[in-house]
Amino acid sequence: MRVSFKWLKELVPVDVAPEKLGEMLSMSGTKLESIHRPGNSIGDVVVAEVLAVKDHPKADNLTLVEVDSGDGTRSVVCGARNLAVGDRVPLAQVGARLGEATIAERRIRGEVSQGMLCSGAELGVSRDHSGILVLPSDLALGSDIVAALGLDDAVLEFEITPNRPDCMGIIGIAREVAALLGAKLRVPDAQVGEADVMAAQVEVEIVDPAGCPRYVARYIEGLAVAGSPAWLAARLMTAGVRPISNVVDATNYVLLETGHPLHAFDAARVTDGHIVVRRADQGEELVTLDGSKRSLDPDDLVIADPARPLGMAGVMGGEDSEVSGDTTAVILEAAYFDPPSIGRTSRRHVLRTEASARFERGADPDMPPYAAARALALMAELGGGRPSGAVVDAYPRPIERPRVTLRAERTSTLLGYEVDAASQARHLESIGVGVERAGARLEAGIPSWRPDLRIEEDLIEEVARLAGFDRLPATLPSGVNGGLEPAQALERHLRRTLSGTGMREAWTSPLSSQRDLDALGLGEDHPARKMVVLANPMLEDESSMRTTLLPGLLRAAAHNLAHHTGGVALFEMSRVYEPTGGLPREPLTLGAVWSGTRTPQTWRGPGTKWDFFSAKGVLEATFGAAGVEHAGWSPVSGMPLHPTRAANVSVGGHTAGTLGELHPDVCERFDVARGTVVAELALPALFASPLTRVKAAGLSRFPAVYIDLAVVVGEAIPAATVTLAIQQAGAPEATSVRLFDLYRGEQVTAGRKSLAYALELRSPEGTLTDDDAARVRDRIVDALSHEFGAELRA
Amino acid sequence: MTTGERLDDIEAALEGARSEGLRIIEAAADLGSLAEARTRALGRKAPLARARSGLGGITDPTDRKKLGQLANAVGDELEAALTSKRGGFERAELDARWERERVDVTLPGDAPPVGSLHPLTKTAWEIVDIFIGLGYRVAEGPEIELAKYNFEALNFPEHHPSLSPQETFYIEGHGDEVVLRTHTSPVQIRVMESQAPPVYVVIPGRTYRRDVMDATHLSAFFQLEGLAVDEGITMGDLKGSLGTFAREIFGRDLDVRLRPHYFPFTEPSAELDVQCFVCRGSGCRVCKGEGWIEVLGCGMVHPFLLEWVGYDAARYSGFAFGMGVERIAALAHGVTDIRSFYDNDVRFLAQFATGGGGP
Repeated sequence: MRVSFKWLKELVPVDVAPEKLGEMLSMSGTKLESIHRPGNSIGDVVVAEVLAVKDHPKADNLTLVEVDSGDGTRSVVCGARNLAVGDRVPLAQVGARLGEATIAERRIRGEVSQGMLCSGAELGVSRDHSGILVLPSDLALGSDIVAALGLDDAVLEFEITPNRPDCMGIIGIAREVAALLGAKLRVPDAQVGEADVMAAQVEVEIVDPAGCPRYVARYIEGLAVAGSPAWLAARLMTAGVRPISNVVDATNYVLLETGHPLHAFDAARVTDGHIVVRRADQGEELVTLDGSKRSLDPDDLVIADPARPLGMAGVMGGEDSEVSGDTTAVILEAAYFDPPSIGRTSRRHVLRTEASARFERGADPDMPPYAAARALALMAELGGGRPSGAVVDAYPRPIERPRVTLRAERTSTLLGYEVDAASQARHLESIGVGVERAGARLEAGIPSWRPDLRIEEDLIEEVARLAGFDRLPATLPSGVNGGLEPAQALERHLRRTLSGTGMREAWTSPLSSQRDLDALGLGEDHPARKMVVLANPMLEDESSMRTTLLPGLLRAAAHNLAHHTGGVALFEMSRVYEPTGGLPREPLTLGAVWSGTRTPQTWRGPGTKWDFFSAKGVLEATFGAAGVEHAGWSPVSGMPLHPTRAANVSVGGHTAGTLGELHPDVCERFDVARGTVVAELALPALFASPLTRVKAAGLSRFPAVYIDLAVVVGEAIPAATVTLAIQQAGAPEATSVRLFDLYRGEQVTAGRKSLAYALELRSPEGTLTDDDAARVRDRIVDALSHEFGAELRA
Repeated sequence: MTTGERLDDIEAALEGARSEGLRIIEAAADLGSLAEARTRALGRKAPLARARSGLGGITDPTDRKKLGQLANAVGDELEAALTSKRGGFERAELDARWERERVDVTLPGDAPPVGSLHPLTKTAWEIVDIFIGLGYRVAEGPEIELAKYNFEALNFPEHHPSLSPQETFYIEGHGDEVVLRTHTSPVQIRVMESQAPPVYVVIPGRTYRRDVMDATHLSAFFQLEGLAVDEGITMGDLKGSLGTFAREIFGRDLDVRLRPHYFPFTEPSAELDVQCFVCRGSGCRVCKGEGWIEVLGCGMVHPFLLEWVGYDAARYSGFAFGMGVERIAALAHGVTDIRSFYDNDVRFLAQFATGGGGP
């Protein structure tokens, strides 16, 4: 909402600077966004008249415009083509100032330009760069444009919250200002000349009183449609509205002033002067003022005549009944429409207008007679029209003004400081609330322009904001036992553990699509293909909720590898989304990608690369941190993983996810290096036994015995099976079993491999002797020999 | 030979053994030759041993004692010389060893792989931890949510623009009943439904809006909500709690202010501004000349919500607040485009490997 400071001062005496006023309004709920002083950056721009327009001899897109600014003619080279002889235009004379620029006489493609003609955008009165601003014809030649257009003003732009439709008009802002400054609001008169009440010109029929509780219509004839005078055009431009004609501008002026949208129909285009307010018929069409042909919905409220729809009620008028240069009589509409109905139509047609924005938030149902009279008076003044016929005020369903009780002590209790009943009443009265006070009980009559005031708390807010939020004390409530749940603590612990292994935590978008799964090479019946689908996505690639974290991580990895790094290790802990009959499941999932260099070569030696086993080590460390005692690893094959370098990971006997090299085809599609390793694990598997408080175990006081053991087994026997057998056979003395060498080659038979283990043997009861150690060793060797035909390697 | 002559001879021999022994020891060039010198100066065939052997023939106890003491003194002196000499050699050898073992301490150390937590994670934790300190617990809820919880229970009027498919993602196959939550506020309802007051929770989580992406908007973003419902909660409690939070994040000596605003689910409603921590209020690019930075939206829980969940609105009151974690992180770390948080560029992420919480 743009507010001219000058205009505001006509409605309420203001004795503070615009900046101060803006701050006061901000702190009472009408937030100042900016202050703009359009006149400050303009100097020596004057009103001139176009005498002739000629083509530039050497440039097709330029014209030579001869102008007169009252002290002789000048020739100006101009890029726009919207000028006609006789137009008044802003001329930036040689030496003029426009923002940072100073206008000099210069030669453009061989022709001298003695100044520059300005667009609305260049003067800061509109966003229109396309043509030269054509000024009202009543401006005197040579007059300074800043004064002529009232640009020596401060324009305050406010953010209006959706609960305050009353502040979408300058009277509403002035009412706030009056309350803040303790000043009196002066609402302008709306005197309309004596109407010829004998001639009934307009009939209004409200078929749908729920959609249109009130409709005021006035008739004015004898109009001469023309351009608006400078003062009006300037005021509209300052507020960001383009002047059109005196009749239309009058309605827009009243809109800006009162916040109440009006509409003017060309009376000649309204059959029998008969206005019908009804829902649209199935299949009805209407060409709106913006030139769009719109198919109306039976829920759309329309203004019609007996023959056809004339406009979309409260949203936009129709082209067909628009006021034009030939219009001589107008039916003026000032109505109150049901806010939800207007909101639905506006959204259905994706058409948000100055009118719909106000009606959908709730206009003032008492405003139509006044707003109509204001506009009528202006039209009579500007267009020489004569009001005719009686005021038609169809108000089948008068809107009740609610009464709300405010207990003064409730205000103090909720705000946390004492506000006496008298001040509360005073604050409410300052914004037009009628207050009847019985001790600490305030009966508030809500004014028609405040549809947002419905309950006691609404009134408490009014008191609080008018008293000033700075009066609130700063206190702290007691709280409860603050802290994290065990699963939340574990989640943090895992993130810290993963980042401690050298991985970077990433955050990628949860929005995905089947295309991501195509890139992973997943089959049509892969479980991840069942996605939660958005009904109204913004982008095809973001049309579903992801079922895997890998695509986002792989794109992030590719971005990093392409830009600068030899290697990257990323993890993400986020939700994936699995459709069910009701609300989808949203399990927390760990995704990870490792690619390229893990540690670089240094003066100390060669670097290392991420591979299956360095990645597996990260997961094992993570499991350890999660208190998972045993994770199972078994080969798995299937996209998106390498067929022979991938594992299913199980925790507590349940499959938690997979770890593996990415299939070379998938590497190529995501543009990551071959050998890139990925993992994806469902975290609920790890959270199944949330971390409990660690109970420290006693340490053996006795020294350990360390022995090495190398066994040769068949190639097909998984190392983990051998390790497990050693642990079982070595129990309880074997407290640590570590595989330290894997050998295939000349010294073992083909098809077999040698696994070398370092064992720590220890007893809580005493020092183990060499004989004890030998017995454990024999037990293990026997077991391995028995189970796998293993032989001890010499 | 007279006894006197013999005594003189022995004494001379002992003196000779001393000077000869000292010469031998002094001449040793290293620890090896020092061992040999020891044998030559103190061994069984050394001059001292030979001189000492003459003592056996002396019968006079006084003489024998005197010469015996001299012999011992010579022996001690030679031992001392040996020890001193050995010490010198050992020191030199140690010095040489230290020199051999010298490293260039300026060479780079072995870098363990360095990882990092995401700045949004760190920011969210930082915020959550402040509220944990104020006695809050952490709640979570579904991102794919019933429209009823996302709007209706939160006092959104049926025609509110947020409900429109222009602004909110709806889920296919569920009509207008299931949405991607547009804020974390529905979790307020879920928490209150599941427990009796007092409620003190913070609620971090992903949220979604059909916003076109730019430097300050994302269609999927990260919110953090808070709710306190108890007997006698006042708007002063809101001011005190959120002021504590804002100062802890942005600077302990900064001013904060509440500015009236509007939300359907709070009444009164406010926005919390913190004094610009860059210019301290004088106006700069970060605060767009206002001197204040908008941090979050908040307000007193609307009685409609309390009644919706079945709380006694006459007995309990509360406040709620919500903020964009990206915005807080961007402000706190001087990030100008919140899309950077989702590019996951390691050069960006690596900057957050340090601790660096607090204002």
